[in-house]
Amino acid sequence: MSKEIARFTINGRECELLIEPCTSLLEVLRDHLELTGTKSSCGVGECGSCTVLIDNKPQLSCLTLAITVQGKNIVTIEGLASGNNLHPIQQAFVDCGAVQCGFCTPGMILTAKALLDDNPNPSRDEVKEALSGNLCRCTGYVKIVDAVLAAAQIMKKGGA
Amino acid sequence: MERELSVVGKRLPRIDAPAKVTGEAKYTVDIKLPGMLFGKVLRSPYAHAMILKIDKSKAEKLPGVEAVITSEDIPVKLFNSGLTDLLVPEEIAKNDPRDQYVLSNKARFVGDAIAAVAARDRKVAEAALDLIEVEYKALPAVFDVVEAMKPGAPKIHDFANGNIARHISFPGAIGDIEKGFQEADVMIEETFNTTKQLHCPLEPSACIASFDSIGRLTVWSPTQLLYLARHKIADIFDIPEGKIRWITPFVGGSFGNALTLRAEPICIALARKTRKPVKLEYSSEEQFIATQSRQPFTIAVKMGVKNDGAITALQGKLTANSGAYYSLSGTTTNVCMAMFATLYRCPNVSVEADIVYTNIPISGGYRGYGNPQAMWALEQVVDVAARRVGMDPVEFRLKNYRRAGDPGWTASLPIESCALEECIKLGMDKIGWREKMGGTKEGVKRRGIGMAIQRHVSGTQPMQMTHSNIMIKMNVDGSADLMVSGCEMGQGMFGVLAQIAAEELGLQIGKIHVVNGDTDETMFDDGQHASRTTYVIGNAIIETARQVKQQLLERASKILATRVDDMYVRDGQIYVRGDLENKISVEDITRRATYNFEGQGRNIAGKCSYVPKGNPPPYSAVFAEVEVDINNGATKLLKIVFAHDIGRAINPTNVEGQLEGGVMHGIGYALTEEYMVNGNNGVVESDSFTNYKIPSTLDMPNVEVIIVEQPTPSGPFGAKSVGECGLNAVAPAIANAIYDATGARVRDLRITPEKILEELSANIL
Repeated sequence: MSKEIARFTINGRECELLIEPCTSLLEVLRDHLELTGTKSSCGVGECGSCTVLIDNKPQLSCLTLAITVQGKNIVTIEGLASGNNLHPIQQAFVDCGAVQCGFCTPGMILTAKALLDDNPNPSRDEVKEALSGNLCRCTGYVKIVDAVLAAAQIMKKGGA
Repeated sequence: MERELSVVGKRLPRIDAPAKVTGEAKYTVDIKLPGMLFGKVLRSPYAHAMILKIDKSKAEKLPGVEAVITSEDIPVKLFNSGLTDLLVPEEIAKNDPRDQYVLSNKARFVGDAIAAVAARDRKVAEAALDLIEVEYKALPAVFDVVEAMKPGAPKIHDFANGNIARHISFPGAIGDIEKGFQEADVMIEETFNTTKQLHCPLEPSACIASFDSIGRLTVWSPTQLLYLARHKIADIFDIPEGKIRWITPFVGGSFGNALTLRAEPICIALARKTRKPVKLEYSSEEQFIATQSRQPFTIAVKMGVKNDGAITALQGKLTANSGAYYSLSGTTTNVCMAMFATLYRCPNVSVEADIVYTNIPISGGYRGYGNPQAMWALEQVVDVAARRVGMDPVEFRLKNYRRAGDPGWTASLPIESCALEECIKLGMDKIGWREKMGGTKEGVKRRGIGMAIQRHVSGTQPMQMTHSNIMIKMNVDGSADLMVSGCEMGQGMFGVLAQIAAEELGLQIGKIHVVNGDTDETMFDDGQHASRTTYVIGNAIIETARQVKQQLLERASKILATRVDDMYVRDGQIYVRGDLENKISVEDITRRATYNFEGQGRNIAGKCSYVPKGNPPPYSAVFAEVEVDINNGATKLLKIVFAHDIGRAINPTNVEGQLEGGVMHGIGYALTEEYMVNGNNGVVESDSFTNYKIPSTLDMPNVEVIIVEQPTPSGPFGAKSVGECGLNAVAPAIANAIYDATGARVRDLRITPEKILEELSANIL
């Protein structure tokens, strides 16, 4: 199969790759760029584990062909902390006990980031609505929602 | 005098959380070895079929394919894919049929593994599967246990007449059941059915296997039972056990799914054939159809009750659907029977079970391990019984439940502690039991409340062999390496065990480094099952830490010129009692011990082998509030209150997390998760998150957890277990609430609007 060039920004760095057009962004991230923080679970857009931010919007990387993100700005979980300082949402997930097995965590955190960037003061129901496409089998979601609400408070005070 | 605790009991962040929020945590699926091949499995499209011929020549010729294997290429040893048969002596273990090969030579369910491929690329491996030509001869298949036991039903295994794999009588049966029935004022007879619940971990099953040039095998896999997996693989492949190193990276959820071998045997067979590293990752669909799930049970109950609420007789006749192979059906059924038989005081008890083969995917072990099935039946029967004799269901339970001092599972191990009454009292207040009981009886939307209780285990003593072996090694900076065989699958064992170690050693939590399960570095442990980790491994760590502390204190006593008994360690400092100025740091002691120029050199370290002395059962009380629309049967779950008897919460945040997650599995079991097999061809229709609905944020009601702490004597700092408890009694609490709201008694999981409406119309007629 002939290959095409995909150019995009990943976690603030320019990236240029030669890929088959049928390659998903998830494969590019995990297999080509070795950014394994983005998780692969269902592979068909049901679970939200592979969520990344494309131009600040949460998107399922398993359903996104890598050649369609030309020129776009992609953020994965590896791109969220600045140096050793966790992003307030990451810190809130740690502090609130929102992490168990951790497999849904990267997708959850990125979905939450898009929510809080858009709506800095969400209600509990709005958080639940925003996270409803990200499945978690461990936590029962209680502490995940707590963490997003806690992060919102910290970010309002200028924590990020 | 109660000891003042500085680490245990604190809501400390989990030590594995930073790695998990940054994407740094490595799971099996994230690991890549140089030259690694990718495996794929060819699965049967037939529920039951002879395999007449397999032609793999075309697949072998596809460029990039390195091996194609069938049942002819692999060991001919039959095995049980469940791992816990290794924890009982052979004369008992052999009662559980060994009925599986690595690759099957006869298809017994849609998804049975028939052949496998290793190729240089995932896509090539997939393409190669299409080139394997298998000639099947379809056989009649059977999916339902009643049909499977009928004369003339298709025979799934030659040795199993009537497809009955085993008949088991509960060994703890007591009294005379007929006499008990005669003594009863009221008889309750009810039959219940449960569904095949799927674990749905987000990380699908995976394995990496690699043989080195001297034939030593290294395996990375998300197993819950590291040493047992190694032991069984050594036996199947006839590899000396010391030539296998098994590593468990972070595990993306398991809930019992990894109590059995999953991707490992096929992956290892491919690596052995190719002599190259092989990674086998199950697709999401394979995870749904080809890994094991919760046994569906039919449970017929007969209970005799006196007018004063005393239970005179309890009889259970169980039928378990094992699916195509036996796996953990024996132990799960035993747990189901034991939980059913021993939650309440009753002088006459009889429980029996048939374990039946059918042509559906295999049933294994799932969080709760038989207890949720038992509670679905028992806790509804108790609700029925209480109402029949005119008692509040709470009062009925309080009158009858087995409590501290009563026999537990076995008469040899009485119940060590029990805080159920406190759980019930706090839960009733929180849900508003007295005000809300009886529900609303007007309008279309009817509200009601219900409750259920459960008792679980803290390990498997004395039913199975169990021991934990721990090493703690001090570093010269005063930190400690805690070497423990285990699997961090989200339950939080690293943090909890580090808190226990830090408390006993007198160190800060940041000074404890947990070394993950790796058979080259950590010693035998029977693994993460039966909610045993905090209680059993926690106690083992305390004993090991005491040895280390003794060595620290002995060296300090010479320097500080004080008796060992007059010193203590706290926050990394060794103090002389009553003299805060007279102290030395742990760091100083460990450094002077290791870099010792006086001929007294020693790496301060401890190790111990610990056999649990008890098995204190944790109790829980679950309360549910629902609103049911009697026009369409739709149930809205408004609230769950869950009160849990933990003994001591080593980390309360973690305990809540375990319970909230368990409750979610219970809600799914009750209301959203329905396993569907096509009755014509055996195709599993619940093959994805779309076709098998696990709860999302929007399906979760307000869940309130109440932790009740009454330290249990044998527990580490008084702790009992929590892992499985959250889900055991949720479904019956919801069913009882629906009855309270509407008068509809749903006996078969999943609770659907249709079943509620059917019951309601039957009541009207």
